[in-house]
Amino acid sequence: MDLAVRDIRRHLGKFAATIAGVGMLLAIVLVMNGIYRGNIFDGIWLIENTGADLWVVEYGRGGPFNESSRMPGDAHRSIAAAPGVARASPFISYAAQRDLDGASQQFTIIGYDVFGGLGGPGRLVAGRAIEAAHREAVADARLGLDLGESFRLGAHDYAVVGLTRGAVDPAGNPVIYLSLPDAQEVLYQQDSHALVAARAANLQRLERAGYPPQEAERLLPLLATSTAGVNAVLVRIAPGADAAAVKQHIERWLHFSAYTRAEERDLMLEGRLKKMSAVLGLFRSLLVVVSIVIIALIVYVLTIEKIRPIATLKLIGAPNSVIVRMILEQSLALTLGSFAVAYGLMSLARDRFPRTLILLPEEIAITFAVMLAGGVLASFMAIWHALRAPPSLALGG
Amino acid sequence: MAVLEVQGLSKVFGKGELAVHAVREASLSVEAGELAALIGPSGSGKSTLLLCIALIDPPSAGSIAVRGREAWRDGRSALDARRFRRENIGFIFQGHNLIPFLTAQENVALAMQLNGVRSREAARRARELLGYLEVAHRADALPGTLSGGERQRVAIGRALANQPPIIFADEPTAALDTERGLKVMDLLRRVAREKRSAVIAVTHDLRMIEGFDSVYEMNDGRLARKERQ
Repeated sequence: MDLAVRDIRRHLGKFAATIAGVGMLLAIVLVMNGIYRGNIFDGIWLIENTGADLWVVEYGRGGPFNESSRMPGDAHRSIAAAPGVARASPFISYAAQRDLDGASQQFTIIGYDVFGGLGGPGRLVAGRAIEAAHREAVADARLGLDLGESFRLGAHDYAVVGLTRGAVDPAGNPVIYLSLPDAQEVLYQQDSHALVAARAANLQRLERAGYPPQEAERLLPLLATSTAGVNAVLVRIAPGADAAAVKQHIERWLHFSAYTRAEERDLMLEGRLKKMSAVLGLFRSLLVVVSIVIIALIVYVLTIEKIRPIATLKLIGAPNSVIVRMILEQSLALTLGSFAVAYGLMSLARDRFPRTLILLPEEIAITFAVMLAGGVLASFMAIWHALRAPPSLALGG
Repeated sequence: MAVLEVQGLSKVFGKGELAVHAVREASLSVEAGELAALIGPSGSGKSTLLLCIALIDPPSAGSIAVRGREAWRDGRSALDARRFRRENIGFIFQGHNLIPFLTAQENVALAMQLNGVRSREAARRARELLGYLEVAHRADALPGTLSGGERQRVAIGRALANQPPIIFADEPTAALDTERGLKVMDLLRRVAREKRSAVIAVTHDLRMIEGFDSVYEMNDGRLARKERQ
């Protein structure tokens, strides 16, 4: 006779509610696992999907994502001329928050050379790539924009000609691709009040330096802020060329910093993602421990509630194995049931979750094994208490 | 031959000056089919004596034999205590102490299954036993839905499950009114006669004393057979 099953059947509502509660907690553990992996996945998505062998940035800077980098707009020309470089393309990456699809949304604008340059969107799920120099955009589906829809950035409207799915910046925000000049315009464009104020300040500066008003007016355009800068240059190494040698040449002779794809990825993992990953790792470890402690307490309470029947079992001669089996089975049923609920909840939430969730089967299996082992360990305290209960307890003594 | 033979059984708690003699050299002999009462004031050692005989609380001295087979002598048991209880003793408690999440039939069948009877056979025999105790119609009911008298009958059924030579009943009528108490006493008497079990009942209930074949009285740990008038 399976006493655990009989007890569960008798207290089905209570047991189901317990499983639902613990299941929700375990769902958080699984979601945290997913966020942890998703954080890493998002963090390096652009690096892995731009197809660049080298990332060239302003000298001494840590790359376009971890630190701001500003390079002359024509830097790609001198880099393209370096030995071993097959192709060099200007690249702009700019985090923005604007009203899109009726809501304020965070996203990143990527500007690239739409005429054969590197750094553009990879596989599109709908539409086509940008073919015109201006006013066309490729947006990620998560932004909620439809193909053919127009949206406003700065002074202009942009038409969505293509859609990506899962194109994200290192913070997990969706990406909008624009042509390089459009992205530069969005990035550097000032409103008319700011332009007037800057012009007046520059004029004053020239006049203070002794230039007559007419001469100062003539020199003004030279002091205007450049709108042709880029954040990085993406390099494709020529077949057979040594990436390390190309990198060394660019750093030594062109005075830029260059990172191979692996170095750029390490920069991201060791820099921007490290703390976040450590925090998420800590949280998921804590959640696993908390879940096991909660399962232990629940199994313990379930056992304490049955301590008199357990004493009765001892009194009528039930061997310890019967009692141990009952407690272990309930603990396993609780753990298995909760994990099933957690998996179901997580599967439901997966596509609706605001961040990328990456759920590796092996990680789910490890979490399951840890929870299962934890559930068994958790029942030891209850088993210990049950085995210590004297049979005389059944007599009220 | 006596079913239960207890000789010079003592139980001492603590040591030296703090030692408490709960049972002092108690001896009793109960025959098959005999219904024996164990009476005495609270704290006199009645329950301790039963716990010692059932090897729940090991005696400090003395010997216990069941059907001529020695179960305990001089601080040592020849048998595994739980197996000894499974095979030789049935318990009926004041609070019935049925397993709350098992039906009446399952409570009785469990005791049989613990003694090696297969599940289907145990279920059949449990239903039969409940029929004998006139509660077969409540076989599938949980203890919480049974009346006090029905619970006590199911408890008696569980005690009888393995046809033990000895049945210990701890205040079996205390929670029942006189009418139901008398019915339970009749039932115990019937069980003793028909199943040839020795029934030893701890009781405070002097209303029921008349129904017993022998009465033992316990006072300050000393057991004495009370002669019937």
